[in-house]
Amino acid sequence: MKKNIIKLLSLLLAAAMILCVFAGCSDGKTEATDPKTSDNAPADTKTQADTQAETEEAAAPSGEPIKIGVLVADVSGEEALGFRSYYENYIAKNYNVSFVYTEQLEDAAAEKSAIEKFAAQGCQAILSFSSADRATQLDTCIQNKLYYAVASGMLDDAQFETYKTSEYFVGQIGPSMDTEYEAGFAMGKYFADKGVKTVAMYGAFIPNPMHVYRAAGVLAGLGMTYGGASEKDAIVGQIFADQGVDLSKVGANGVELVGYFQGFGDTTFDELYGLLGQNPDAFLSVGMATTFFTDALNGAGVEFSDIDSFTSANGKAMTEGKLVYLAGKYSSSIGPIFAALVNAVNGHPVRDAEGNALSISQDYLVATDAASFDKYSTADQGESPIFSKDVLDTVIGDSVSYDSFVALVTEDRG
Amino acid sequence: MEPILTMKHIRKTFSSTVALGDVSLELWPGEVRGLIGENGSGKSTISSIAAGMQKPDSGEMIFQGQPWAPKSMIDALHRGIGMIVQESGTISGVTVAENIFLAELDQFKRFGVIDRRAMNRKADEALAGIGVKDVQGSTPLAALDFQARKLVEIAKVVMKQPQILVVDETTTALSQTGRDILYDVIKRFRSEGRAVLFISHDLEEIMDVCDTLTVLRDGARIRDFKKEEFEPDAIRTSMIGRELQGDYYRSDFTPSRLEEIALKARHLQSGGALKDVSIDFHKGEIVGIGGLSHCGMHSLGKVLFGAEKPESGSVTTADGTKITNETVAMKHGIGYVAKDRDVESLALNTSIRDNIAIAGMERYALGNFLVTNAKEKPYVDRQIESLSIKCAGRDQLVSQLSGGNKQKVVFGKWIGRGSEILILDCPTRGVDIGVKKAMYELMTSLKKEGKAIIMISEELPELMGMADRLIIMKDGVVMKEFPRSESLSDAEIIKYMI
Amino acid sequence: MAQTNLAKKNRTRELLVALLPVAALLVLFGALCLTVNLKGYRLDMYLKIVFNEGVVLAVVATGAIFIYSLGSFDISLGASTLFSAAIGVMVYNSTQSLPLMICTIFGVAIGCSLLSSVLASVFHIPVFVTTVAMMSVLSAVAAQIITANGGALGGIGIPATVVAPLDNVPFKLIALLVFTLICVFVFDFTKIGRRLKFLGSNPVCAKLSGIKVNVYAIVAFVMAGLGVGLGAFLTLVYTPSVTPTTAGSIGMNILVAIVFGGMPISGGSRSRIYAALVGGFSYILLNNILKIVIDSGAGYGISQIVSAVFFLAVVYVTSMNYRTKLLPR
Repeated sequence: MKKNIIKLLSLLLAAAMILCVFAGCSDGKTEATDPKTSDNAPADTKTQADTQAETEEAAAPSGEPIKIGVLVADVSGEEALGFRSYYENYIAKNYNVSFVYTEQLEDAAAEKSAIEKFAAQGCQAILSFSSADRATQLDTCIQNKLYYAVASGMLDDAQFETYKTSEYFVGQIGPSMDTEYEAGFAMGKYFADKGVKTVAMYGAFIPNPMHVYRAAGVLAGLGMTYGGASEKDAIVGQIFADQGVDLSKVGANGVELVGYFQGFGDTTFDELYGLLGQNPDAFLSVGMATTFFTDALNGAGVEFSDIDSFTSANGKAMTEGKLVYLAGKYSSSIGPIFAALVNAVNGHPVRDAEGNALSISQDYLVATDAASFDKYSTADQGESPIFSKDVLDTVIGDSVSYDSFVALVTEDRG
Repeated sequence: MEPILTMKHIRKTFSSTVALGDVSLELWPGEVRGLIGENGSGKSTISSIAAGMQKPDSGEMIFQGQPWAPKSMIDALHRGIGMIVQESGTISGVTVAENIFLAELDQFKRFGVIDRRAMNRKADEALAGIGVKDVQGSTPLAALDFQARKLVEIAKVVMKQPQILVVDETTTALSQTGRDILYDVIKRFRSEGRAVLFISHDLEEIMDVCDTLTVLRDGARIRDFKKEEFEPDAIRTSMIGRELQGDYYRSDFTPSRLEEIALKARHLQSGGALKDVSIDFHKGEIVGIGGLSHCGMHSLGKVLFGAEKPESGSVTTADGTKITNETVAMKHGIGYVAKDRDVESLALNTSIRDNIAIAGMERYALGNFLVTNAKEKPYVDRQIESLSIKCAGRDQLVSQLSGGNKQKVVFGKWIGRGSEILILDCPTRGVDIGVKKAMYELMTSLKKEGKAIIMISEELPELMGMADRLIIMKDGVVMKEFPRSESLSDAEIIKYMI
Repeated sequence: MAQTNLAKKNRTRELLVALLPVAALLVLFGALCLTVNLKGYRLDMYLKIVFNEGVVLAVVATGAIFIYSLGSFDISLGASTLFSAAIGVMVYNSTQSLPLMICTIFGVAIGCSLLSSVLASVFHIPVFVTTVAMMSVLSAVAAQIITANGGALGGIGIPATVVAPLDNVPFKLIALLVFTLICVFVFDFTKIGRRLKFLGSNPVCAKLSGIKVNVYAIVAFVMAGLGVGLGAFLTLVYTPSVTPTTAGSIGMNILVAIVFGGMPISGGSRSRIYAALVGGFSYILLNNILKIVIDSGAGYGISQIVSAVFFLAVVYVTSMNYRTKLLPR
């Protein structure tokens, strides 16, 4: 018995120690992200004072930072990390705001309780990168009087109709499903125009709607039919029903689709190597390929394409490897929606003529060589992003028009 | 002269059970000391403490003048006390030699490889050392029968030349030749001035083998007997703590039964186990079924209870109902005390209450559904009381009871629900004399109440002592039926068994 | 006499061990209040959130106790929660009838459970194996239904107004209490529950005591199905939509919750209904405390690692108590 107690005690001690270690590492992070508890607070405050001198509107007059809760479905993706880095290392330093992030969100219930927690923690606004159930997210925000903005993707048309006049719905800036389709279409067309004869395709996480629309676009862009259909909606509907792309339903027209796979699991690399064995002229991916397969594809010498973001790893793949086409976002592309959110919190929401929330589709930027890639990536560095403070300040204030937002977002930055 | 081993004020408890209260024991050079007592008296516990299998809660041990606190059985063996355990202490899947040298394979290593030939030779020597010649070191252990494995274990321990040899209930697994080998080993220990601690249930054997005898009861040392004081009734009395008649079987020798048939077995056929077995069991009758272990009698018990399906043939009750499974059997008042008590008759980590109640709920459940404390507790307590189950209360775990009390719980489970037909497979197995006697009395009174009792046993004396009718089976066939009679002899019966 | 005293002392110890999970729940509750206050967050909201997060887990786990008491294991409970919620939504959307939706959810949930157990008894394979297969099938079929009907939305749902009136603590609390009471009644005061526990303790002996193993396995799965049905309904009450990931983590969390509640994974007579309730809420409390204490920036998954350490510690403690009770013979 005595021995058992000793064992138990040592176990508890070990657990306590682990907890302390973790608490220890978390402290450092907290300092970096939360100006309130930070040792650097005075420095931050100074920046804030400067900021405020320049733009009175950037923060609440009291000097209390605006607290924004960020819903993130996939916390580990490179894109998410890029966005997060922009908010934390640039926006939080230049504006009187603080960000709180969720851990991985699994389903609609997790989204809802995350929003409720943000409300309990005193957040004033929610930025959503998570899309399990946007209607519930909005309902929850309205219930808790939180401003809500969609930072990636867009609401479905019917949903937008329902919520567009809500006081707490700030709006949405991001690629719409049509934009996703177009991005896929452009990618397919690029290779068709290039004259490839055989291609292989990676469907990422179909039936994720974003990936479904992109895949449909790729097929159409390559000049193929799917189940006899060549129209967007028909192709999309069938891919949803098939939960993937069924090779036997693909009608070729000049370019042949020699293989298709999706998802990521134990057998993924076997599938990939099986496909590469057929020597396709190009490998087209609707997402995540640069994360998973860059080395394998470079090694096999197969040209490939992806829809991702302008990260340094992708830059390297384009200059030194076989990445020939990248449609992507740059990390600061989420700047405008932040500006809209700040305006709303400060009591100057940006609305269209009918008083509706913002809804602007943001296109992908496309790089097909090192030069075009560098244009976006070097322009969007940590300290000097494309949507820098100077640029954002033009749309933060009490008299910003809807059109100036549209102009800012859709301006060709190429 | 100094004792080889002195154990002073040894105490050991398991949860709420006191296995050893305050027991002291000495072992002298050249002494063969027997340890005897009922199940749960503490004899296995004290010997396993001496041999390093477990540690005492308190107390002191001195071995050859030095404090004795072995870390494990292997440690104890290397330092001078070796034990041959009750359960099989060997490992199948490897050879005899590997079993013997399990912990010390290194000594046969040459350039990192084990020299099997040298190891096998050494093992052969060790076996020959105790007089075993027909077992080779190179033989896979799985090829040996239980007795040969036990001999391997004995060789393994004796080879180490321990000063003290502890023999715990080993002889039950051995035939006469095996026993003779062990007795020779014991004699050698005695003549060489070493000592033996000998544990057995068999009073006759213990009186034969030992020089002195210590009786334990309920974790306490009750009395020591010198060789010249050995007297069966006196030893038994001190074992169970009260006077015991020399004989505890039925005193009458006239077979009796009611005319009414309780259970009918017809042309039962089940693989090699049962071949065209047909028997009628009457109310108010104890039918003994005997034979060698694999004669089919244990299968017969299961088939009668519906727990095993025969290939053909039938078991029917008085009203003509066919027994097809346990539920039907129970509905018709059949109860079954299985041979493997700890696995088949009891849920060990469950309370006495649950074990007794589980079969009898329909007796007191409202609407055969709702079970309340108000009804259940008295039901269980009645069984505990009427069977004198020695326990701390109805909520005590069955695993904490001694073998005899466990068996009483099983009886309580079946008698409590008012079983009219009781199939008892080895009902007194691993049970001490006190409880045995109680069981026999119970059977007699159940018979008087008109219940049909089917008693399957591997012990001929109890069959002869209790049964109205004795059925002997061999290879699945009923060989012979003997009516109860005073003139019945072992020899006559055994003739039909073998 | 000495034995009785010892037994008494032992029983006190056993009672203490049995109360340990409840004490842990209270400590965790206190710790949550403390951390929330220290951080300056709103406690009332946090308590509501914790309740909402815990209630579905507690309900499904309470039903699952019946399966766990058999020493068995059902890994498909999360998937059948998803599946029955999805079918419920489809039924509502085509009939606009809330009662019909509720009946469908319960029917489908019980049906899924029944199928697992019946398949197991027909093919004579461990139930656990069939539940693994059921998990794959159910989540695949549910995903198919959801994506085929949900399209670009990525999920299907009923109008929020249908169940919004039920999305409050009193309703859920009553649902939880009623279900728990039903389970306690069946588990402890009926022949069915008592036999289930005995079956978990020793199936061989149970069979020889006239307990039909297959029948009771089916009963256990039906009870678990009830829990899944209620859980699926409460999921819809909280968020009126279903996506392929809905209830995804429940399957594993049930196991954790039941262990946190102090029930041995081997089942048997020491199974307790309240283990699911206590363990479910303890687990949710622990998770929330860790998430508040450990900033999300500290790295993904650290709170999971800490809960895993706690989990192992609890398993160790429960089994420790179990081991000391055995006599070495």
